[in-house]
Amino acid sequence: MIWTDTLGALVAAFFIISVFTMLWKDNPVFRLGQQAVIGAATAHYIVLNFTSVYKNAIIPMMGGNLLLIIPLFLGLLMYTRLKNEIAWVARYPTAVLVGVGTGVMIAGTLRGQIIDQMKNTVLDLYNSFSAGSAMNVLNATLILIGTITAITFFTFTRKHTGLLGWSAKAGRIFLMISLGANWSGELVWYATQTIGRLSYIINYVIKIVILGG
Amino acid sequence: MIIIAITGILMVAAYFIPWAPLQGVKGVMTSWIVVISAATVAMGFVYMTTSQYKLYQKNRSTLQLVYTVTPYVFFAGFLISALAYPGGSNSPEYRWWFTNIYSNVGATIYAIMYFTLASSAYRTFRVSSMEAIALIAGGMIYTLRQIPLFQVYIPWIVPLGEWFLLVPNTGGGRGAVIAAALAALVVGIRTLWGKEVTLEVSG
Amino acid sequence: MTKKNQTIWYKMGNIDYRWLYVLSLIGFILPVLQPLGLPVQVSSGTIGYYDAIDKLPAGSVVAVSFGASAQLLDEQEAQFLATWKILFQRDLKVLFYCPSQDGSLLLQNELGKQVIPESYGKKYGVDYVVLGYAPLGEAGEASMSINIRGVYKADWNNKPLDELPMMKDINAAKDIDLLIYFYTSCTDIEFPIRQWVTPYKMPTIVATLGCCGPMAVPYFPTQIQGFLSGSGMGTELEVHGKVPGPGALMSDAKNIGILPFLAFFVLGNLSYLGKRFKWGEVKTP
Repeated sequence: MIWTDTLGALVAAFFIISVFTMLWKDNPVFRLGQQAVIGAATAHYIVLNFTSVYKNAIIPMMGGNLLLIIPLFLGLLMYTRLKNEIAWVARYPTAVLVGVGTGVMIAGTLRGQIIDQMKNTVLDLYNSFSAGSAMNVLNATLILIGTITAITFFTFTRKHTGLLGWSAKAGRIFLMISLGANWSGELVWYATQTIGRLSYIINYVIKIVILGG
Repeated sequence: MIIIAITGILMVAAYFIPWAPLQGVKGVMTSWIVVISAATVAMGFVYMTTSQYKLYQKNRSTLQLVYTVTPYVFFAGFLISALAYPGGSNSPEYRWWFTNIYSNVGATIYAIMYFTLASSAYRTFRVSSMEAIALIAGGMIYTLRQIPLFQVYIPWIVPLGEWFLLVPNTGGGRGAVIAAALAALVVGIRTLWGKEVTLEVSG
Repeated sequence: MTKKNQTIWYKMGNIDYRWLYVLSLIGFILPVLQPLGLPVQVSSGTIGYYDAIDKLPAGSVVAVSFGASAQLLDEQEAQFLATWKILFQRDLKVLFYCPSQDGSLLLQNELGKQVIPESYGKKYGVDYVVLGYAPLGEAGEASMSINIRGVYKADWNNKPLDELPMMKDINAAKDIDLLIYFYTSCTDIEFPIRQWVTPYKMPTIVATLGCCGPMAVPYFPTQIQGFLSGSGMGTELEVHGKVPGPGALMSDAKNIGILPFLAFFVLGNLSYLGKRFKWGEVKTP
């Protein structure tokens, strides 16, 4: 094992344990790890984005594709936000970003997330009747009820009373089940992260680096 | 506002009208967004410096000075390894910093979230109402479904967990997707129309 | 409440949560030291994910949007290693592109080390190409579906795309047969749905974190044909596709580690119910 790998493993182990000390209480060692990752992440994003600009804009420009000077110039104009007197200049590249982003979002949202989702909900029910299975019909009906009631929950232009009130309450139940599933996924995700770090320390740092196994 | 409206309407039109020049304009404009986004990344360094400076101004102690200097030490380490060695961000030196500092420390910060999430669930998740019972049912059943121990010793948890995910979760999820999409559509149209207040305020 | 008046229900709901931390840590460490080896059940999302790749005819083109994060490797490594092994076992053309900063570095670290395409008889430039990082976002995904060369002029080694034999006939959505979308931000599922699936009816499968999986389910199975949610489903893919990997250790260690949390959760709710319904209290006349 070369010395850089050993050093790397020991440095990583130090920082992993320093972050875990947060479980006892906030302390300078944890803060050191936190600040380290702030600097590391900032540098990492800058290095990789600069590389992307170099490869996908500057090199093609040097190869003759001069039109790319326009987005490069617009990107540099964004830095005018840092000085109050000329911050207004950054509105132009921001406007391009907002306009293009909003445009591509709107078109796809209407078909992909509204029309198709409604269509699939109804088609699920229709196909379940065709398939003839009672369980499929029940499931498809529940999905339809859940979809409609969850949408009524988000209706804030009328007070949730009467039929709308009952529908919104039912929608809240379905949304809570959905949130519960998301929460569960998050819990197990974080558990996996913990296992990964413990496994790194035990199986790599202790067994291989320190004990030479 | 005119730039937003023109670019936005062009993108929407290109989506629905299969006319080659319009598709070409969409392709060019969307590829330019990638370059504009990449070019602005150095702003992160400026914002990091601003926030570190403010923190030090609030608390001018030796410990805070150490906290303030630490990110720059690691920033310099990354930058030097990217610039000084052949291969740049592909060099073994850069990958050393990336793997041992960035990946490991970042992963551990997510790892400690397990303990805070578990302890807060212990303190707050109570079967006190229908909504809370629904939340707990969805959460617990899907948690047990994911753990092999329960898959083996409580085999019915597998189809039950799948059912929770594919039926009530889908119902609630579709409703949320449609509602959120409607809201996004309205905000998007208002943005193209120039009626979006937040954009007017920020200029 | 004085210590003398603290009922069992009060004590159950107020245990020092550091005990939960210690017991959970012990529970996670034990299976790492001594694996249990319990079997894993495969779910419909994983089966759909595998089938979407398996039913592709020979020579099909698969685009892999590799938006993974190095800090979330523990959660996603099993997913993408199993996916790559399954892809390279078949006669498919694979195009990797990275909308996240970490994606290209992870590909370098893992592809060629953990999964070696050449060991499956694959040749770079002919059977697989890696395009590197570009901050795509939704607009970038839209651009990729229209004109790949509008975003990427060269691969991750700065070789022009036109010099790569595989890329000769690949430039847009019409040239791609399957999109595999790896992502770590829950709302990013909307990008391929809006920019690939809806306009081009692109067969799409997704792989993401455990907390984002339930948010992908509303699109399954009509708009996405399969999904992987977390390392658990990554392990399921390893089992279903018969491609062993790091997922088994992750799934195993969850078995014991989650038990302290479940015990504390039950105690907390028993405490609530005991206090609410005053269990065990003698009613004075």
